[in-house]
Amino acid sequence: MSNTRDIRNRIKGVKSTRQITRAMQMVATSKMKKAQDEAKTGRPYALILADIIVSIADEFEEITQSYFVQKPIKHRGILVIGTDKGLCGALNGNLFRKLNDVENSAKFIAVGKRASQFLSRTKMDLLADFSLPDKPTFSDVRKIVDFLLRSYDEGSIDTIEILYTSFINTLRQEPELMRLLPLNDLDTMTQKMHKRFGEPEHQAPKDNREILFEDRDAVLADLAGLYLKQEIFQLVLESQASEHSARMVAMKTATDNASNLIDDLTLQFNRARQAAITQEILEISASSFSK
Amino acid sequence: MAQSIIRLEIVTPGGVVYSENVDHAVIPTANGKIDILQHHAPLIDRLEPADVKVVKDGQVNYLAVGGGFIEVYAEKICIITDQAILVDDDDDQEIEAAIKRAEKALEDGKSSNFDEEQLQLLEASAKFEQARKLAKGKAR
Repeated sequence: MSNTRDIRNRIKGVKSTRQITRAMQMVATSKMKKAQDEAKTGRPYALILADIIVSIADEFEEITQSYFVQKPIKHRGILVIGTDKGLCGALNGNLFRKLNDVENSAKFIAVGKRASQFLSRTKMDLLADFSLPDKPTFSDVRKIVDFLLRSYDEGSIDTIEILYTSFINTLRQEPELMRLLPLNDLDTMTQKMHKRFGEPEHQAPKDNREILFEDRDAVLADLAGLYLKQEIFQLVLESQASEHSARMVAMKTATDNASNLIDDLTLQFNRARQAAITQEILEISASSFSK
Repeated sequence: MAQSIIRLEIVTPGGVVYSENVDHAVIPTANGKIDILQHHAPLIDRLEPADVKVVKDGQVNYLAVGGGFIEVYAEKICIITDQAILVDDDDDQEIEAAIKRAEKALEDGKSSNFDEEQLQLLEASAKFEQARKLAKGKAR
């Protein structure tokens, strides 16, 4: 008899687990949609910004502004966008595997608890770690960008790269390492941006645009800063969309597993109950026969 | 000039705020206000936080914009800015309140030591609110 009670308890436990995972699945689904929508609204801005940078840069014979010139790379600076919470499948694992073939001289900046945990555990050179709220705003990203640009200006890092999880579709997210600074190859940058947004490639018009400001270096620096902010903001949102969709899938699997387990346990429970009844009948009839 | 021929697009990080074919537009730039009509020479300039006057089908509209950049090419005016708003939707009290809020935030920021850029940001938003008021005043 104690057997059936054990099984009943287990069924109860698994059921409540299923309830939790199902709720988490729902939450992740709606958060994913929001993050995706938000990432989309910033795209026209990013495209025009890139276009302006390219047009201004075209006007120069030679750009001397430090954000546009490739320096000898001693230390790569890599911004790793991880998640704060777990329970999102292999997302973080896949992301960190990308770091295996990065040379030891690289320095890292972490976003998200998982990323900083991983980087400190593997004893990599962690410059700073930031955490972002669930719904990051443009100004939340600003402090990260400020830090990156300062380190770049000081020369403690010679590139600014970002490791994030690109959102391909709900079932597929892939880690990707992208170079943001220096902007020494503007054409590929804009091409990549168009490809990522799924926008048709458009040739920047090569007309002699009048440029009405004097202090071009300062403007270029401003633009590069804006570009970096915009890009990082976009990629953070994309990573969040990936995180939520990974969590959604993980939680869906968990819910399904829980359902299967409940089915199995119910079968087992019924069998045990039936066995107990049969046993009892046998005992009763045996005792009546023996009289 | 019955036809609307030049395209005006105002884009912020939060999405496309305005995208219409207009007759012409007066844009506040770092070098003063410039009126852009069709066949305007391509140009790039900084955008000042102030009001943009848009003339569409003979009707005048005002938009308040924050700082940013403007680019003109191929019969198209692209404005990228951190914030932009059509002043028709605003009411005066709200604007006044917004100005007060922005200025108070700026004051608070100055007294407690915020970092330089944070202050600039607050200043920009205060300017933007002023621009809103200005644009609204003209719209009447």
